[in-house]
Amino acid sequence: MLPGRRHLQPLWATCSRTLVLTVLLGGLYRGSFPFQVVCTREDVYQSFKLLGFLDVKNVPCARESVLYGSLGSLVVGLGHFLATSRVRRSCDFAVGGFICTMLGYWFYCRYNLAQQKIRQRMLKEGMRNKMLFEGSSFDPEKKQTGNERSNS
Amino acid sequence: MANHSQLGFQDASSPIMEELVEFHDHALMVALAICSLVLYLLTLMLMEKLSSNTVDAQEIELIWTILPAIVLVLLALPSLQILYMMDEVNEPDLTLKAIGHQWYWTYEYTDFKDLSFDSYMTPTMDLPQGHFRLLEVDHRMVVPMESPIRMIITADDVLHSWAVPTLGVKTDAIPGRLNQTSFITTRPGVFYGQCSEICGANHSFMPIVVESTPLKYFEAWSSLLSS
Repeated sequence: MLPGRRHLQPLWATCSRTLVLTVLLGGLYRGSFPFQVVCTREDVYQSFKLLGFLDVKNVPCARESVLYGSLGSLVVGLGHFLATSRVRRSCDFAVGGFICTMLGYWFYCRYNLAQQKIRQRMLKEGMRNKMLFEGSSFDPEKKQTGNERSNS
Repeated sequence: MANHSQLGFQDASSPIMEELVEFHDHALMVALAICSLVLYLLTLMLMEKLSSNTVDAQEIELIWTILPAIVLVLLALPSLQILYMMDEVNEPDLTLKAIGHQWYWTYEYTDFKDLSFDSYMTPTMDLPQGHFRLLEVDHRMVVPMESPIRMIITADDVLHSWAVPTLGVKTDAIPGRLNQTSFITTRPGVFYGQCSEICGANHSFMPIVVESTPLKYFEAWSSLLSS
């Protein structure tokens, strides 16, 4: 074997892995091929299960996490390869980048979602209280107007 | 109720079930990360030559000790949060008793009036069109929506279990013991469950149906039933 050819096999393997991953992620982005699409209600509800268990279509933040994770993996892996020309180590960094970016965005997105839910609940409670207490002595707007009048 | 071939959770109808669904999503995301890593390492191992030259592996041993500890912390913290949330005592508006028999449930509303009734499964031959087979009952347990409800669950003969998946409730009914659980229904509707502890020949034929209605309809129903 020629000295320079030792690196071609892992490089080819890396390229083929990248190609397969791109096709699969393209399917994830499009939401169809080649993953399992299951219709559990007539034509309204479809699930798209990554690795057979994570429904990225219906779990909030899941799809974005996986896509951002893939982008992060590409950036980190490619960047490391361009900087060091080490294929194997770049693949390791790519996988690490995928996991860290995916989990990092997941926590960020879920935190924002939790805050949004709290705000929605407060809004719902406020709307209900407004309807219940409008015009009565418990009406907070009445109290506020009363304070403004006494201050002026 | 569950649709045919449904594997996942039903839509949540109580705050605890919403938290449980979110935790389940979080756990699956962590599982996806771990599976991706394992898949990658498996692929690597399949392409490597086997070698017996390794005598010292301090770094990898450190990694495979610390990483699982981090994963466990990521899973344990939200899990414990929900566990303590489920045990909160939040001054219920209503206390109901559910008593399991072979093979029906008895519900008692004894807070204001002495109200008690049995809930038998509607036989398939008597089922009106459009109703659900093996899930409908002759008398539903009606509760006011958006009110904290305390359930006291026991049994009269053998072990049963009072379970309603959409409310995130499953509590064993044990003869001679009172088990307590609580829930709040976030929306009106009819919620189905089934006995979840083997209790004899008709264990699969003693369903639970909870009907959540606005307070004024609940008051009208309880007045009608007690009169």
